[in-house]
Formats: sequence, structure tokens, C-alpha cells
Amino acid sequence: MIIPLSHVLVVSAGLFALGVFGALTRRNAIGILMAIELILNSANLNLIAFGRARGDAGGEAQVVALLVIGIAAAGAVVGLALVLAIYRHRKTISADEIKLLKG
Amino acid sequence: MSQVGPLELAAKAAFYVVAAGTLAGAWAAVSARNLFRAALGLAVALFGVAILYLFLEAEFLAVTQILVYVGAILTLLVFGVMLTARMADPALPRWNRQCWAGLAVAAALGLGLAHLLFHAPWPAPRDVAAPPGLPVLGKTLLSTYLLPFEVLSLLLLGALVGALFIAKKEQA
Repeated sequence: MIIPLSHVLVVSAGLFALGVFGALTRRNAIGILMAIELILNSANLNLIAFGRARGDAGGEAQVVALLVIGIAAAGAVVGLALVLAIYRHRKTISADEIKLLKG
Repeated sequence: MSQVGPLELAAKAAFYVVAAGTLAGAWAAVSARNLFRAALGLAVALFGVAILYLFLEAEFLAVTQILVYVGAILTLLVFGVMLTARMADPALPRWNRQCWAGLAVAAALGLGLAHLLFHAPWPAPRDVAAPPGLPVLGKTLLSTYLLPFEVLSLLLLGALVGALFIAKKEQA
């Protein structure tokens, strides 16, 4: 591998930090979903980088990454359906205006 | 690897350019006021990650990344943005009141991780012969990992039906 492992991992850590920032601070629920996709991508990047650096003869790292991509798709679909349902009921998808469960 | 050829140098430079572009796209995705622009930034970031997969010699994963993320999930998110958001309303704050706390947490996390990464005693990288090809990948997916694969297909079916049920119009 021509790229040092730690450099790929730093890119992945940066993606993770940006995703955490977005998930914590975005007001729009769709923005939060986008940030969560970033976090999942950083995890996948880590999997592939370690698989490449430590030997992945059976392709396990790539298989796990594929499964993560599938689960991310399912999560995005259900999350977006929830956002649309909330928008239909309450005419807002701002995460800090949706406080139905707050006592 | 005592001698660094010009091709290798170019590949390294391309890696850092792509990495910087990926992070810039990710920053746009979490900070753009206009949610549509955030989606475009996310597209840049996802494409960048696909190219990083190519650098790591995971070609099938790069193709899957573009198909599933850029082709499907991003389209879905753009649909959601157009159906719900008052997109370019400058009166709406883009971040909530925890903005600075969130920034502090994320910065501490990112810098801490980077510090750990550079100072951790990684074992020396093995001289890996070749990355697994597509036949190996398919065999592993459909033999050792058959059960997770099938469970994933069930999960996707459940997500499909559940999303339809949640998002459908209620009968009054």
C-alpha cells in the first residue's frame, strides 16, 4: 500500500468528527440523517483500510463493509419516512421543535 | 521501496487531494444553510470516499458505494429535502443552541483520534500479496456470511414495508 495506514485513518477520523458535529447540532432532521451517513462512511473507510493493511485474503473486511452499506440504506429509508410523517402532522422537521414526549 | 517513481508520487498527491475534497464536502454537508447545497456537499464526500476505496484497491466496494449511496440514498435525501424544507430561508438558523458545545465535542473527538492514530504503536504492515478479488468476495459473502446476508435482505424488506406504512396518508 503506497499510502500510510494512519493517513487514511486520519481522513476517516475527520469524517467521523464532522458527522458527530452535524448529528449533534443540525436543526433540520434531514440534516441529521446526512450526518449519520457520514459517520457510517467513516466506519467503512476504517474497515477497508485495516483490511488492506493487515491482509484480507478472504475478503471479510469488504463483506462487512457491504453489509454496513445495506444497513445504512435501510436506516435512511425508515428515517426519511419518519421525517415525512412528522412533517405531515406537525408542518415542521426542525428537531428542536419536535418535543412531543417532553413532559 | 527505496526509489519513489514519479507515478507513485502522483498517486500520493492524488490521494491527499481527494482526501481534502472529501473532508471539504463533508464540512459543506454539515454546515450549509441551504439543505440542497448540503446534499450536494454530501455527494462530493460520498464520491470522495468511493475514490479512497479505489486507492485501497477495493474496486467492488467503490462501485457499490456510488450505486447505493450516490445513486439511491442521496436521491432519497434530495427528495426529502424538496418535499419538506423551506430550503433557502435565511431566517432559519442552521444549527441549534448546542452549536458551540457540539463543535467542542466534535473537535475534541477528531483531534483526540488523530493524536491516538499518530502515536499508537501500530504493528508493522504486512506485505500483503493481493487484495481479495471479486470471486473471493462472492464466495465469502455466500458461504461464511450467508446468514447475515439473508438477514440483511429481510431487514431491507422490513424497511421497505415499514417505510411505506409510516409514510402513507392516513385515512381520516
